[in-house]
Amino acid sequence: MTKLCKPCLSLGAVLILAGGAIPLEQAAAQRQAPPPPSPEKQAMIDLGIEHGTARGLYDHFRSEADGDGTLAWEDVPDWSGVWTRETFVFFWDGDQGTMDTLPTARLTPEYERRLIEKLDRIAQGIEYDPLSAGEPAGMPRWISEPFLKDFAVTPQQTWLINEMMNEIRRVYTDGRDHPPPEDAYPLWLGDSIGFWDEDRLVIHTNQMREGQYQRIQPEYTDQVETVEIWQKTAEDTIEVDIWVYDPPVLVEPWYTRQVFKKLTNDDNALRIRYWHFNENQNNAVFETEDGSSDFANFTFTDEDDN
Amino acid sequence: MKINLAVALAGAALVATTALAHHSTVMFDEEREVTVTGVVKEFQYTNPHSWLLVDVTNEDGSVTTWGFEAEGPSTLMRAGIRRSDFSPGTELTITGHPMKDGRPGAAWLHATRGDGTEFDPRSGFAIR
Repeated sequence: MTKLCKPCLSLGAVLILAGGAIPLEQAAAQRQAPPPPSPEKQAMIDLGIEHGTARGLYDHFRSEADGDGTLAWEDVPDWSGVWTRETFVFFWDGDQGTMDTLPTARLTPEYERRLIEKLDRIAQGIEYDPLSAGEPAGMPRWISEPFLKDFAVTPQQTWLINEMMNEIRRVYTDGRDHPPPEDAYPLWLGDSIGFWDEDRLVIHTNQMREGQYQRIQPEYTDQVETVEIWQKTAEDTIEVDIWVYDPPVLVEPWYTRQVFKKLTNDDNALRIRYWHFNENQNNAVFETEDGSSDFANFTFTDEDDN
Repeated sequence: MKINLAVALAGAALVATTALAHHSTVMFDEEREVTVTGVVKEFQYTNPHSWLLVDVTNEDGSVTTWGFEAEGPSTLMRAGIRRSDFSPGTELTITGHPMKDGRPGAAWLHATRGDGTEFDPRSGFAIR
């Protein structure tokens, strides 16, 4: 057996745990409640609650910030390099800790039920991820994808680039606002505006499409909005405080701290390159009649498999 | 090239998906492992997943092409696996979780090349 990270082993453990169809109550009982937030984390949650909406929180940060929110060329921070997220991919919040622990979000009853049903299906080997068909991850899921990212900062815009599906989030920091609500429509990455508070980039994103935070995480609706504060805290570390608001799903803002680490890349071999999901027939995965996943026709077999 | 097919129960230490983002891995049997010895037919170094195609000679002399799925190029590079490491004709022994339906495909766990060099594609997610 090859070396494996602890979370990977834990995923196996949860799959063993739920070997067949089990009632929701029993399934819920087998999954532990998430750990309570630390006092520091609770203060961030409370801050999100206090300001009511993502826009309200963003406007609060804007009112508290020094300066006019713009960035001069001579003050552009060095976010160069190739980065990846530190937390295990299947967790939106690293504080979830283990695979037999539920996500840390405080969910509405409807979306808690939907999450448990999804986990039960996965435990029974029934799972289909829309990414199989080449859909972008989209925001907020963009945050949790485990591949390479790089970041390009200019005074007018910051580009947050995900290798996967070449998803580029453009954060406008030139003072513009979002499009008017009557002209808004759901976007894979949403519409992002931001401002600079010294070396911190504060972002408000709306106009996102519905999706899921990750395969074993809750869903989000097209009402989801986020507030992020990005800051480089060490040569190899960028920390992102993020509050997610989504009233149909979340009974309070889901606050987490996301960490991106700069990868060693001495020979410059790691580069962000264009992805196309259909470049190899062997990666074609379709949704089966029971809602699970299977490969289509492999090129290396003689069979007309499916 | 003789086939060395050893399908074994992996026991309690089940492992997770190699496919951390693109698709579910329910099509693979993560309780079992298959190990084959053969020669590289082709290394499809592609996104979102790479496929290492290995020709395996069966006991009756026929050849079966196995496909071993791993992550895409950038993750393989992080694991120290370059396209040139598995040029056609390279001898190797490779292990993976086999397809549940019996097709000759597997999720690539590790490989040992004929010269003894070992490769662990999953180590590409380590941060260093």
